[in-house]
Amino acid sequence: MEKLLARRSVRLVALAVFAVVLVVAPLVSSPFINYQLALIAVFAVALLGVNIVMGYTGQVSLGQSAFLGLGAYIAAYGVKNGWPLLLVLVLCAVLPAAVGMLVALAAARLRGLALAMITIALPIIGIPLARRFSDFTGGSGGATVSFMKAPDWSGLANDQWRYYVVLVIAVVAFLLARNLVRGRVGRAFAIVKENEAVALAMGVSPYRYKVLAFTIASLLGGVAGFSYLVVVQFTSPETLSFFTSINLVAAMVIGGSASIAGTILGAIYFVVVPVLAGAVNSARTALISGAILLAVLFLLPRGLASLPRRVRQLSARKSHGRTGATAPHNSPDGASSAAPPEIPEIPAANEERQAR
Amino acid sequence: MAAELTLRDVTLRFGGISVLDRVSFSVAAGHIFGLVGPNGAGKTSLFNCISGHYRPSAGSILVDEVETVNAPAWRMAKLGLARTFQHPALRLDATVLENVLLGAHSWLPGGPLSWSLRLPPTGKVERSARAEAVGLLERTGLAWAADVPADELSHGLHKGIELCRALLSHPRLLLLDEPAAGLSHGEVERFIETIRGVREDFDLTVVIVEHHMGLISALTDRVVVLDHGAKLMEGTAAEAQADPRVIEAYLGKEVTDDEPA
Repeated sequence: MEKLLARRSVRLVALAVFAVVLVVAPLVSSPFINYQLALIAVFAVALLGVNIVMGYTGQVSLGQSAFLGLGAYIAAYGVKNGWPLLLVLVLCAVLPAAVGMLVALAAARLRGLALAMITIALPIIGIPLARRFSDFTGGSGGATVSFMKAPDWSGLANDQWRYYVVLVIAVVAFLLARNLVRGRVGRAFAIVKENEAVALAMGVSPYRYKVLAFTIASLLGGVAGFSYLVVVQFTSPETLSFFTSINLVAAMVIGGSASIAGTILGAIYFVVVPVLAGAVNSARTALISGAILLAVLFLLPRGLASLPRRVRQLSARKSHGRTGATAPHNSPDGASSAAPPEIPEIPAANEERQAR
Repeated sequence: MAAELTLRDVTLRFGGISVLDRVSFSVAAGHIFGLVGPNGAGKTSLFNCISGHYRPSAGSILVDEVETVNAPAWRMAKLGLARTFQHPALRLDATVLENVLLGAHSWLPGGPLSWSLRLPPTGKVERSARAEAVGLLERTGLAWAADVPADELSHGLHKGIELCRALLSHPRLLLLDEPAAGLSHGEVERFIETIRGVREDFDLTVVIVEHHMGLISALTDRVVVLDHGAKLMEGTAAEAQADPRVIEAYLGKEVTDDEPA
């Protein structure tokens, strides 16, 4: 119990420190740093979508950049036509969500490679479409906007103001997503990923929850597109690039799939590592990023978010000698009222056990 | 309210292979009913038909007079049907409590919006589901393990967790697929007590597929014996064990000299 309390208070303190850093950081940093911080908040939202559909629900999605681009284009169009920004933000959420749902209604019947192919098709079709409909998108040259300037009363520079705007959007998105994955819906996502037969038996329609996960991911992609335009003030067909989708998936794995903290860590990786690698040797950016990816996967196969757990495992192994796997749990120090349960040895020859 | 289950001429074919051949029986409300037969007799296939995981090629399955043959499997939980699996299918990385809580899915209210906003009414139903889940774990002697990840527990305990998950869905008809497989003697004894207890307290009908004849004799009111996908006989467990056809199905025919070579 004491341990639990200690852990909880440690968590609270860490969270408070994190919040203070988020608020204070842009006030003491250069515009370049603020731009990078704001990009982390942008891609964290897009990555949250990838994590909900892939990490939590176990469905391959390689098309998130298409929704990011769609959101950015909708935002650019709305801003150019002088629509109220709140309306633009709502449209950036609703329209990509509707597109994502339509695609998912068909695609969620597929699995594995077929599903991957459908989702890959989205950015691949999206880029020529973005070039083609130049009245809406500005064609190959892209769309440049100038909006979301810091109001006078705030006394902030534009880069600081824009950071706070996208930070608020990200915080709201993360709080809602955290609630979602920890309750009834999150449990349904998890069992769809784990075992569809059990999902059916417990009253969960795998199809409906896959469509729901895709819809939420597309919505978050679209919202990230709005944030992207706020920060970058420019979008082009490049925003939809398939490589962005692939890098988002890599960042999800690096950060930790099915983990909220892992999503944040993944977004930091997504934005910071290319910048750092570029600073080390601008001709070898991809090589250095790739080496870091391999190193993380080798040391922490379950992502950066599993670091505390991994440290605990390693230290436990050290103190218990090299027993390897964790031993089965016993009743904790007689605290429970129930009779101590017996833990039977399962005969090794029990085929039925091994089949599962 | 315990449910009544009626099967009429349930037939299941996979391509040209006949798995179930016009199986009919009915289970009275509140009974514990055994489904026995040698390996490959079609017990689990029949189970999957009842739970909606397979769609029978012909015949009808009624839960309290409601035809369920065409209902999708995920709707069956709403009709009050819950099941366990031969091989406990848990989320091994999640805690025992999280695994059990999945059982509440069919009756917890609210969609994605209300669960992301987590307004007080949603928080309240979640807490009540948790309290109920903990109550079920206490009943099966697993309360101590509520916060332990499932992969740190033994096979026998997994079976108990799965039972709690099924019970949390407030079933009126509970299907147990080989609940005693892989259990130690003591665990089987305790399992029998648990099932008797929940039948009384939750007013359930229970259907059990099982090889463990001791468990079947101790627990069931009636049994149906299946062989090669067809019903061989129906009666009490004692009648089944004495029936020469059943013995033959399990052990084969006595070799006599009259048999043509």
